Amino acid sequence: MSAKRLSRRTILRASGVCLALPLLEAMATPSRSVLAMAPEGKLRMGFFYVPNGKHMPDWTPAEEGPKYQLTKTLEAIAPFRQKVSVLTGLTLDGARAHGDGGGDHARSGAAFLTGAHPRKTDGADIQNGISVDQVAAQAIGGDTRFASLELGLEGSAQSGNCDSGYSCAYSSNLSWRNATSPLAKENNPAALFDRLFGSNASNGKTPDAKDHAQRYRKSILDSVLEEANGLKKSLGQSDQRKLDEYMYSVREVENRLGRSDLVVKTDGDRVDYARPAGVPKELDEHCRIMLDLYTLALQTDSTRIISFMFANEGSNRAYTQVEISEGHHELSHHGKSGEKQEKIAKINRYHMTKLAYLLAKLDAVEEGSRTLLDNCMLVYGSGISDGDRHNHDDLPILFCGTAAGRIRQATHLKFPKETPLCNLYLWMLTQMGVKTDSFGDSQGVVRIG
Amino acid sequence: MIFYRRYIGIIAAVLIVISGLGMSTGELTADDAKLSTRWQAVQPLLIQYCGDCHSGEDAQAGVRLEKFANPGQILQARKTWLKISQQIEANIMPPAQSEPIPAADKVKILEFIQDATNAINCVKDPNPGKVTVRRLNRFEYANTVRDLTGVEYPKAYEFPGDDVGYGFDNIGDVLTLPPILLEKYIEAAEEISKTAIVVPPAGKKHKTEWTGSQLKIDKGGRASGNFASLSSAGEAYAFEQIPWAGAYRLVVTASGDQAGDEPVKAAVVVDGKPIKTLIIPNKRGEPKEYAVTLRLKSGRRKIGIEFLNDFYRDDGNGKKQDRNLMVEHVTLEGEKAGAKIADSELPESHKRLILQTPTGENDTEAATRQVVQRLTNRAFRRPATASEIDRWVGMAQQVQADGESFEASIQVVLQGLLLSPQFLFRIEKQRNPTGSSKYAQLDEFELATRISYFLWSTMPDDELFRLAAKKQLSDPQILREQIQRMLKDRRANQFVENFVGQWLQLRKLDEFQPSKQQFPQFNDALRNAMKRETFTFFASVMRNDESVLNLLDSDYTYLNQALAEFYGIRGVEGEQFRRVSLDGTVRGGLLTQASILAVTSNPTRTSPVKRGKFVLDNLLGTPPPAAPPGVPELKEKGELTGTLRQRMEQHRADPACAACHQLMDPLGFALENFDAVGRWRLKDGVDDIDASGELPGGIKVEGAVALRKLLKDKYQDRFVRCLIEKTLTYSIGRGLDYYDLCAVENIEQQLKQSDYRFSTMVYEIVRSDAFQKIGSRE
Repeated sequence: MSAKRLSRRTILRASGVCLALPLLEAMATPSRSVLAMAPEGKLRMGFFYVPNGKHMPDWTPAEEGPKYQLTKTLEAIAPFRQKVSVLTGLTLDGARAHGDGGGDHARSGAAFLTGAHPRKTDGADIQNGISVDQVAAQAIGGDTRFASLELGLEGSAQSGNCDSGYSCAYSSNLSWRNATSPLAKENNPAALFDRLFGSNASNGKTPDAKDHAQRYRKSILDSVLEEANGLKKSLGQSDQRKLDEYMYSVREVENRLGRSDLVVKTDGDRVDYARPAGVPKELDEHCRIMLDLYTLALQTDSTRIISFMFANEGSNRAYTQVEISEGHHELSHHGKSGEKQEKIAKINRYHMTKLAYLLAKLDAVEEGSRTLLDNCMLVYGSGISDGDRHNHDDLPILFCGTAAGRIRQATHLKFPKETPLCNLYLWMLTQMGVKTDSFGDSQGVVRIG
Repeated sequence: MIFYRRYIGIIAAVLIVISGLGMSTGELTADDAKLSTRWQAVQPLLIQYCGDCHSGEDAQAGVRLEKFANPGQILQARKTWLKISQQIEANIMPPAQSEPIPAADKVKILEFIQDATNAINCVKDPNPGKVTVRRLNRFEYANTVRDLTGVEYPKAYEFPGDDVGYGFDNIGDVLTLPPILLEKYIEAAEEISKTAIVVPPAGKKHKTEWTGSQLKIDKGGRASGNFASLSSAGEAYAFEQIPWAGAYRLVVTASGDQAGDEPVKAAVVVDGKPIKTLIIPNKRGEPKEYAVTLRLKSGRRKIGIEFLNDFYRDDGNGKKQDRNLMVEHVTLEGEKAGAKIADSELPESHKRLILQTPTGENDTEAATRQVVQRLTNRAFRRPATASEIDRWVGMAQQVQADGESFEASIQVVLQGLLLSPQFLFRIEKQRNPTGSSKYAQLDEFELATRISYFLWSTMPDDELFRLAAKKQLSDPQILREQIQRMLKDRRANQFVENFVGQWLQLRKLDEFQPSKQQFPQFNDALRNAMKRETFTFFASVMRNDESVLNLLDSDYTYLNQALAEFYGIRGVEGEQFRRVSLDGTVRGGLLTQASILAVTSNPTRTSPVKRGKFVLDNLLGTPPPAAPPGVPELKEKGELTGTLRQRMEQHRADPACAACHQLMDPLGFALENFDAVGRWRLKDGVDDIDASGELPGGIKVEGAVALRKLLKDKYQDRFVRCLIEKTLTYSIGRGLDYYDLCAVENIEQQLKQSDYRFSTMVYEIVRSDAFQKIGSRE
C-alpha cells in the first residue's frame, strides 16, 4: 500500500503556524511530508484514563446487547453510539491488595495498562510490568516518528507519599517501557506541539541548516554513549540500571534521527493549529488543546499509539467547572451519601464530555471511506470501579472505534465475572499485528464485535 | 518510611503510660539458639491470639504466622514483623472485638520480635547503605546549569519524570530518564550552549587567480603561452567583482626581458589609475612575485598591470635591445575579519567559560585544552581524567577542523557536556575500602557534591572545590565552618523550598482549591503568603541556628499585612514579611500555620483525619498503617449521618477502622478551631467547635495549645527523630532502612547535646556514615 499524502489543502490551510522541522529531525534531508497520512486503514491504539472509579449505578446499562439504553453518565457519547461499546465485568486483578494492604489508587494507575501487580515500595526496587501500549510500540512503533506518546493533564505528584507506601511513580504513570521504567507524561501542550511540529514553529523561523548545534548532535550522542559505556563498568548494579536507562533513551533518540526520512519539511507547510502558549490555567482549555493534539498526532501519523491520563490516580481535584468544590478523591469515599454520589456522577459526566470531545475530533477526520475514529481502538476507563469500595472487578470501560471496520460496536457486552481486562488488551495487540498469545494476566482473548 | 523500633514513638509511649510496661531498649544481641527457643514459645501465642485471621491461604494482609519456622526467617521478613509488633503494641491488633492479648504474653511477644528484628550492632561497622546514582532533578538541573554556565533556563522546571519516592523528588531509585526527557535535555543543551557562548561571525575570504594568458590585453602585447606578454606600452588586465571594500593583496608573478639602462617597470593600475610602480629586474624564465596591497572599493573593478618603460633599439648590426614585460600570474586575495565582539558586549557566561582564546594557530590546542579541561572538571564536579578531557578536546578539534571558530568549538563541547551522564547524574564510583571499615569512603569531591546538593540543590562552588582539591573538606573543623557558611548563603533557600516544600507538603498547596463560596477571602496572594510564612519561619530557625524544637513551638512567626489580618493580628503593615510576636495568640510553631492547616484540608471542610495523619506522618514519624484495602465492610452499611464528628465516630465504631482512627482523629480534632484555610473559628456552620479528643490510654487533648504542649512535653524526642529521618532521607536520596538506626541515633544524641541547634543536625548528618560511606543494599 502506498503512503497516501495528505493534501495540504485538506487539513493544512491558511495561516497558522509555519511548520519547521521537529527538533530532532532538523539534520535530516526531508523526503516525505510530516503531514503524510497513515497508510489507509492503519490501526491506532489509544487510551483515556480517569481516576477514582465511577458512580456505577449511573454507569452500567441495565440491558445487555445492542438494544441497551444509554445511562445517565453515558449520554454524552450518544452521537457516537454506533462506534462505541460498553464493556462491563472486566477485572484488574493486579490492582488488588494480594496481601499488600492499602494503596488501591496507586496500584490501579500502575496496573491499568500493565495488568501487573505493582510491588509495594516507596522508591527502592520499583517493579511493575510492561504496559500494553509499549508492547505495541515496541512492535510497530518504528513505522512512525514517535513509537508512542504519553500524555496527561498533570505532572507527577509533587510531594508526600502518594498512596499508602507506594511511590508516586505508580499513581502518576500509565505507560511502562518495562517493569522498572515508567514513561513520564507530557502535560505541556506547547512542548507537545513542538515535539510534533517543531520547536521553531513558534516564530516561523526555519531551522538554520548550518546550525552547528544540530550539526554535531549525532557525534555528541555517540560520544556520550561511549562515555556511558566506559562509566558503567565502574558502577554497582543499581547504578548500572540507571545508566542502562540513560543509554536506552540516547539510542532511542538516535534511532529517531535515523527514522527522519519519515518526516519532513518543506518551507511553507502550515498546520492549521496555533502553537499553544503553555499550560493554560483553565482545565477545560488545557484538556481541549491536549485532545486536539492527541487527534493531530494520530491524524498526521506522527504516532499510532497514545495514552492519556486525565488526572493522576487518587487525584483530589475539585471540579469547579461543574460546581463541585469538594475534592474528587474525598467524594469518592462517599460512605453511601446520596449527595456525594450525585456529585461523583456529575464528575463522571464531566469526564464523559471530554471523551465525547475527543471522539468528535477523531470522527471528523476522514481517512478514505472511514474516519480516524473508525481506525482507532480506544479504551476509556478507570482501574477502580466504585471509589468507596475500591473494587477492581466490573470496571467501567468503554471501547471506542471499530478497529478499522473489523468489529461492529454499539453494544453492551457483559463479560463473565473476573474476566481479565488484559483479555481485551490481548485482542487489541493481535489487531495491531503483535504476535503474542498472552499479555499481563490475560487468560485468553475477549470475544468482541 | 523507616522500619526500626517504631514503637518507641507515640504508640509505645501511650502504651507505657497506661500499662506501665517496660520495654527493653538496650543493646540487643541475637543469640540464635536462645532466640529459637523463645520462638518456639512465642509462635503458639501468636497463633492463639492472631491465627484466626493470620494463617492459611486466606491470611489477612498475607501474614501467615505458621509459615515462619525460625528467627532467621523473621529477620528476613523484618519489615513485616516490625509492622506486626507496632500493631500489637498499639492495640491495633488484635482488633477490639477479639480477645485481647494479656499483658504478660504481649511483653513476651514484643520483646521477642524486637530481639529477632533488631539484630543490628552499631559498634560493629553497620552498613551505611547504598544510594542509587541520582539524576539531577529539575530544580537541581536548573540551578546547576546556572552555576556552571551563568545561563538561566526556566524551561527546566517543566521537565517531566521527577517522580516522588519516600516523600521527596530527589530519590535515586525513582528518578527515571525516559526518552522524552532526553529530548528535552538535548534541546536544553543546544539552547544553553548557544546562550552561554557567543560565536563571533566568521571572517570571509575572497581570492581570485589568473594565469597571464587569462588577462586581457587591448594593445601592446598578447598572450603567449601562459604569459601575458607586453612588448610595448599597454596593460594586461581583468575585471573583478570586489565583494567588500577594504584591503586586498595583489600578487603579480612577473619577469622581463631586460634591456637599456633601467629594469622593467610596471604599474599596478586600478580602474585606470596607477597605484604603485613595480620594478622588475629579473629575467625571463626567472619569474618573481611582486606583492602590493590595494585598497579597493566594492563593485566591479578593473585591475591591470601596465608596462611603463618600453625600450627598443636596433643598432643595425644585428644587436637588438628589447625590453618587454611578462606577466605570468596574478592573484588577488582579500580577507575580512569577523566582526569582533567587544568584551563589554559579551555575556558574563561567555567570559566565565572562555577564559582564554588562542592568539594564533600555535597556541590553539593549548587554549582548547585549557578551556575544555576547566569546563569538564566543573561539569563533572571533579577533576576529569586525561582520557575524558581528550574526548572533549577531540570534539572541539573536530569542530575547529571543520572551519568553525574556537568559540564555536567550545560551544559544541558545552553542548556535549550538558548531555554527558557524568553531568546529568551524580556519579559515585565503586571503590575498595581503604581504612579499617569494610565500607569505602566517598572521595572529597563526591563529598563536596553531596553536601552542595543537600544544602543548595546545586553544584559545589569554587570554595568547596578548592577545599576538596586540598583534601580538607573532611576535616571536622573545616566541615563545620563550611556548613555554617552554606546555611547562611542565599543558595540555602533551595534547601528550605525543596526540603520543607516536600516534607510539609507545601508544594501541594499550589493545587489546593478551597471552595470559593465558603472561603471567598482565599486567593493566590494569600496562598503565596502562607507558603512564604512557613519558608521564612523555617529559614529563620536555620539561619539563626536556633533550636529545631522551635519548629514545634515558637512564640513568633513571620507575617505580612495580609496574612496578619487573616490571622487577626494587628499592627503589621505592608507587603513585607517580618518577625511578629505570637504572644497571647493560640498560634505558634509549624502546626498552626495556615499553610499546613490548609494543605491538610478538603476543599469545603477541614479533615481531622488528614490533619491527624499529617502529625503522625510528618511530625512524629509514626505513620499510621494504611487503610485496609477494598474497605468492603462499608458496602454493607448504611449511609453515615450527622455532624462530621458524629460521622467520624460512626466510622470509628467499625473495629477495622478504629485502631488507626483513634490515633489520628483526636490529633486532628484538637485543630478544629482552624477552618479549611487556617482561619480561627469558634463555630462550624451552626455547630460549636468541639476541639476535644481522647488518645488511646485516656490522654485527653483539647485545642491547639494543649496539642502543642502535649507534643512538646511527651513527644519532643519523637519529633526530633522524625525531623532527622526526613532530613537524612532528603540528604542521601534514599529511603532509610533498619541499619540506618545507628546513624539516626547518633545524630539525635549529638543534637541533644547541642541544645538542638539546627546546624548541629546538618553537621551530624553530613558527618554520618550514611552520608559519607558507600555500603550495600539489603
